[in-house]
Amino acid sequence: MRDDDVLGALLAGDDPNEGRAATVERTSAIEALPPASREWGEIDARSDSPRWGMLVDTERCIGCWSCAVICRSENDVALGMWWNRILTGGDDLDTPSVDEHGQMSMDWLPLACQHCDDAPCEKVCPTAATYTNDEGVVLVDVDKCIGCRYCMAACPYGVRVFNWGEPEKATGVEEGMVHARPVGTVEKCSLCVHRLAEGQEPSCVVSCPAQARIFGDLNAADSHINRLIQDRGGDQLLETKGTEPKVRYLPPRRRRSL
Amino acid sequence: MTTIAPPTTPTSPAATGRRGPRWAWYAVLAIGLAIGLFSFGYQLTAGLEVTGLTNTVTWGLYIVLFMFLVGVSAGGLIVVAGSELVGSHRLDSLNLLAVIVSGTAVAAAAVSIIPDLGRPFMAWQMMVSPQVMSPLVWDMVVISVYLAIAGIDLWILTRPKPMAKWLRVMAMVTLPVAVLVHSITAWIFGFLVARPFWNTAILAPLFISSALVSGTAFVLVVAWIVRRVTSWRPPHHVFADLGKLLAWFVAVDFFLLVAELVTAFTSQTDYHLAPLEMLFTGRQAPLFWGQLVFGVLLPFLVYANPRLRSRTKLLVAAAVLSILGVFAKRVNILMPGMYEPQINLPPGQSGNATGQAFTLDLLYVPTWVEYGVVIGIGAFAATLITLGVRRWVLPQAGSDDAVVEEQEDREP
Repeated sequence: MRDDDVLGALLAGDDPNEGRAATVERTSAIEALPPASREWGEIDARSDSPRWGMLVDTERCIGCWSCAVICRSENDVALGMWWNRILTGGDDLDTPSVDEHGQMSMDWLPLACQHCDDAPCEKVCPTAATYTNDEGVVLVDVDKCIGCRYCMAACPYGVRVFNWGEPEKATGVEEGMVHARPVGTVEKCSLCVHRLAEGQEPSCVVSCPAQARIFGDLNAADSHINRLIQDRGGDQLLETKGTEPKVRYLPPRRRRSL
Repeated sequence: MTTIAPPTTPTSPAATGRRGPRWAWYAVLAIGLAIGLFSFGYQLTAGLEVTGLTNTVTWGLYIVLFMFLVGVSAGGLIVVAGSELVGSHRLDSLNLLAVIVSGTAVAAAAVSIIPDLGRPFMAWQMMVSPQVMSPLVWDMVVISVYLAIAGIDLWILTRPKPMAKWLRVMAMVTLPVAVLVHSITAWIFGFLVARPFWNTAILAPLFISSALVSGTAFVLVVAWIVRRVTSWRPPHHVFADLGKLLAWFVAVDFFLLVAELVTAFTSQTDYHLAPLEMLFTGRQAPLFWGQLVFGVLLPFLVYANPRLRSRTKLLVAAAVLSILGVFAKRVNILMPGMYEPQINLPPGQSGNATGQAFTLDLLYVPTWVEYGVVIGIGAFAATLITLGVRRWVLPQAGSDDAVVEEQEDREP
């Protein structure tokens, strides 16, 4: 999938992306710009028909917001909107939570779209703008979105954000690897579907300094993500809602006590 | 207004056709429509960020108004169809007015969803790319059918020759569709597992009972106003009849609400209790208790007491309270559902404006734009009712020259 000789091609003055655009699937939600050259973050073993999933190791997460910030620039998320947030169990981002025994601990819950197998947002969308692609990624087709925000009411995780006004950028220009979404539409994490098409992991995964995010193909039995889920489990958020998220969370094996 | 007036009273000031008040009323309507159009136009250019809505409270006043207007539309058609099917003709004189009110309310409901859309000009996508699992698509279909039924009923009722048989056929179609239109509107909310307060089987029956209360009360109020300002004279007993019906509707509506609240409360689970706390002691408490006292209890005392309900002005005041009470109830259904996200941890969700910090518990306060649009939709409904009354009701009252004046806009 990945052109290994990207660097060589660059040095030779060739366009390393030549011929690659054809492999980019049409992801009408997030219309991919011409793929950039990337040297790291190649996707772990994948089957013929991948079903992408993510595992967040809450034991490793240090609550640094790197994933949240790179998500913004990768996906050209406008000011005031977040596809990816880091929630905390304490009263505030920098305060620990205290249990009934007075024991303090710092916990974080990185939260973005859970890419549910049975996505409530997809079921209620009146125009089929929200859909699940062949690889299990829940996407929004902005061309169909009428901005009714029914999906936002339906999502138990509260991970969708709306373009309330004209999207504003810190630099005033489009800066991400995908086109910006117009005012009046809903958007959310796309698992960096434009990167997946290039055989690259989502940018939050490669940017995590603690390597707390593990990405991979849930259909490939020997993928790193599946081995970890077998070894250590993997909780689904709000499991009782029956949404079957493809994002799972590894609980800490020991408390980070203060 | 306790005396029974003869069908036409040539000496009444209304029938003499004073022009002043009529044009004043038209001016009020025009100003209301202008306010609505201006607010909506401003919102179109700026986006929904000029509303008080946020990424947490994504639905607000527009959706409340939508729920409310769908409910109001129940009154007329059910009065016509219901009394037709049980073979009662006591309310026949109200048929035409009731159908006009119903048709207007459902048209206004359809209009009220438009300003809530982020991209209203893309709404045609619902026709070309409908997703049949979505209750919103079902609602679009059933509201269209309902509007068509109101139109056909109007056509039948305005034929020179009575078409009693067809009215009966229509009644058989109307009632199931009326049940559907309120159920589906309820299911828009009730199907969402993300909102425990909405995700309850009682929501559809509750929407039907609330619809009956607000719809019947609305017909009563409009009938009273039209009677006051024009030469139209329904038999006087219709008001007390509607009041008697309302006693039942209010009682059932209250019972269903209590059944839901008691069940949720006794569960003692957090996700059921959080919205209840908001209603009983929290942010919505004034509106909740106010609704129960002024929107349910006081009107019920008037409806249930034959002496009180025969005093028409008191009855109308009770009906106005009922209408406001049902509106408050819609707010009290929507807001706890929106305010209590399933995952509500610091730092919370972002608002709706650039630079706005994360907030855990953002208060939703509608802006002047939202109020302006609501005023516009109210004026739109009042215009339709005014025109409908002038065009169809008054000719049957035997006076083309009658005046519709100072018809108060009862939309809250």
